[in-house]
Amino acid sequence: MKKAKTISGQDLRGTFAAATDWLEKSISDIDALNVFPVPDGDTGTNMFLTMHSAIEEVNRCTDRKISSIGEAVARGSLMGARGNSGVILSQIWHGFAKSLDTKETMDGNDLARALLQASETAYKALGNPVEGTMLTVIREAASAAQKHAASSDGDPISVLEAAVDAAQKAVANTPNLLAVLREAGVVDAGGQGLYTLLEGALLYLKGELKLMQSSKSRMIASSLPVAARISEKANEQERSYGYCTQFILKGKKLDPSNLRKKLKNKGQSLIVVGDESTVRVHIHTTDPDNVIRYASSLGTLDDINIRDMDEQHQDFLSMQKDRTPALDMAVVAVANGEGLGDVFVSLGASAIVPGGQTMNPSTSDLLQAVEAVPSHKIIILPNNKNILLTAQQLPSLTNKSIRVVATETIPQGVTALLAFDAKSDLETNIKLMTEAKSTVETIEITRATRSIRVNGLDIKKGQAIGLLDGKLLAASDDTSDIVIELLKRTELNGDEVISIYYGADTEESEAMAVSAIIRQQHPKVQVEVINGAQPHYNFIVGIE
Amino acid sequence: MTVKIVTDSTSDLTPEIASKLGITVVPLYVHFGSKVYQDGVDLTTEDFYQQLEQSNILPTTASPSPGNFSEVYDKLAKEAGEILVINISSKLSASYKAAVEGKELMQRRCQVEVIDSHSAIAGLGLITVSAAKAAQAGGSLDEVTDVVRSSMRRVDFRIAFDTLEYLKRGGRIGKAQAFLGSVLKMNPILTIRDGVAEGVIRVRSRAKAMDYLYDFAMGFPHIEEMAVEHATTPDEAEKLAERLSAKLPREHIYRMKVSSVIGTHVGPHVLGVGVLPSE
Repeated sequence: MKKAKTISGQDLRGTFAAATDWLEKSISDIDALNVFPVPDGDTGTNMFLTMHSAIEEVNRCTDRKISSIGEAVARGSLMGARGNSGVILSQIWHGFAKSLDTKETMDGNDLARALLQASETAYKALGNPVEGTMLTVIREAASAAQKHAASSDGDPISVLEAAVDAAQKAVANTPNLLAVLREAGVVDAGGQGLYTLLEGALLYLKGELKLMQSSKSRMIASSLPVAARISEKANEQERSYGYCTQFILKGKKLDPSNLRKKLKNKGQSLIVVGDESTVRVHIHTTDPDNVIRYASSLGTLDDINIRDMDEQHQDFLSMQKDRTPALDMAVVAVANGEGLGDVFVSLGASAIVPGGQTMNPSTSDLLQAVEAVPSHKIIILPNNKNILLTAQQLPSLTNKSIRVVATETIPQGVTALLAFDAKSDLETNIKLMTEAKSTVETIEITRATRSIRVNGLDIKKGQAIGLLDGKLLAASDDTSDIVIELLKRTELNGDEVISIYYGADTEESEAMAVSAIIRQQHPKVQVEVINGAQPHYNFIVGIE
Repeated sequence: MTVKIVTDSTSDLTPEIASKLGITVVPLYVHFGSKVYQDGVDLTTEDFYQQLEQSNILPTTASPSPGNFSEVYDKLAKEAGEILVINISSKLSASYKAAVEGKELMQRRCQVEVIDSHSAIAGLGLITVSAAKAAQAGGSLDEVTDVVRSSMRRVDFRIAFDTLEYLKRGGRIGKAQAFLGSVLKMNPILTIRDGVAEGVIRVRSRAKAMDYLYDFAMGFPHIEEMAVEHATTPDEAEKLAERLSAKLPREHIYRMKVSSVIGTHVGPHVLGVGVLPSE
């Protein structure tokens, strides 16, 4: 798309259509996240159907004005709104369209205003807006758009970019705001759906058609330090979520703020909105009878809805269990670096324990991961000499069967995991994995934290130092040189597989340059470059 | 009269092997755009892979029709009273169903037994070979059927892949789905269990894959039949067969080729070893 300062009605047509197509690709991914308010697994489907209806209405609209397209989207989504998320989405577009008024085109400021109006309308329309849902996401997106529009040159694409960025962060943060999400270890499905729509709109306006054809929306991971596919469990005893209790209180001279004060201690997520004749109440409480009884004394109750949230949660858990066949045996790997974590997950690890700032997880971090994985037999890959001792504390702290395969580096962990066979028994796996880890050599490159003399080398603080299987053998100002030098010591036959994981402080170009040198010197060797994004180590190189 | 043995082209038996053992191979169909080929009849392995490389269009496959089978039955019924048909796993193709339905369309009188091998490729090939040898030795239909069932229980094979893309696109990836999505480049090794594809192990390089295939075959104490098959790398297959001659004399190792039908679903560069261990 042209680097326009304004978006036309035609542009908006295409944008909504593209965003809807983009959403369609992720329907099942989003359905799988559906936990709140009811884990009925259809948020993705509902949002798509709502958008589909909106698009049909847009197709019937022959007007070129952007405000007319906006109106068509609002009308179509309202008529076709499905489910909770569909209704909220229709309100978002309602506010969006309202803001566009009678405009012909839209610039960055218009967009920011429209997003703000969309957010306000959505919140207002809900009797019980809950944070940690689509509402939070549209609010944050609108807020970022406002900030950006104020300081930018009015380019709508950059405003949308700021909005999408904020939306992504908001989605990642939803488990922090909503207990059920936190417990399930997922982000809010509606929020993810809204992000996906905004992302699709942005990609379309930026002209990224090929990308949109060949890939799909990124499912946002929770920002909580959760291990893959598991949730952070509170370490106190199981607490009951109680009942989601909602009703309308009708009466005379009602006082919402006083009611709010009175109900505050009776539960969580309390929302009281209304006026002196009609008040809408929403609360999560373990004693709904008490709340209902109290409210009845103030007036008449209508539209009472009480849902057992523990039951919902259990349903969700069993739904999740059905989705992922429970493995009798699972592997938990310690990996510091998002890319490294991805590698282990993609090879079948059930959970990743990130090392944290000090790179060494605590015993309780490991324990959390172990307890949260559904399997009863767990194999731990510490991937670091310092974590071995910590890992070995685990068997005495849990009822599960814990074994540790003493991997000391990431490449050792990878080969061990590759040797894991879910069909073999625990002992056989320990044997196979232990054998496997000794078939790989590891080179690690990091920076010297102080000047030191070791192994006959004079090392200055800040220099790059290289370790081969844990032994510090080289130092230099050039990290690439060290990799090549240490490789010489491994006596390559020529048919090895070399994996280069480059760290967060390292440029991809540097990694590619090292890879090129290796390929030049050893044409038959297979070299792979992976963005490990690990801290501290510029390079971790595995030689198999 | 000897029992006539029939299979479909997913058994990857070369015309030489088939004719030597008196096996009739019913071809599946390969569609390249608007052109329809009969697997192994007007499209050889080599031609297929050449077209695959040059063409933008992805080929698709189709099972033989019941009529294709009944024609074969009628032809064979001229010389025999008993026919045994062994097909690719019914979970992977409609070939078995067509073979069964073909019985209804027969015009001649003949006893036809149809068996779902729960296998394909080298596995199906070796099951069929064992049946053909039993038939040539004079076995009755019941006896040959017993041999087939026994072979089905014992046969095992491994196929080394470069990529699972073709398997995924063709919809036959089955349980090997678990091997998709690796961040690192992998050489997956697959087999067929319970009639569907299943991942066995992932190794990190082609060289290691070949070592794995070798170790797999060498791991059997006594071997009745062995096959090595290739798609686009005959030299690799030859090298592997040479190494395996330590286990079984070179001339007893069947050299099979990935048929164009199978090739559509596995892609180029695959290399496989099949073993029928002794009872």
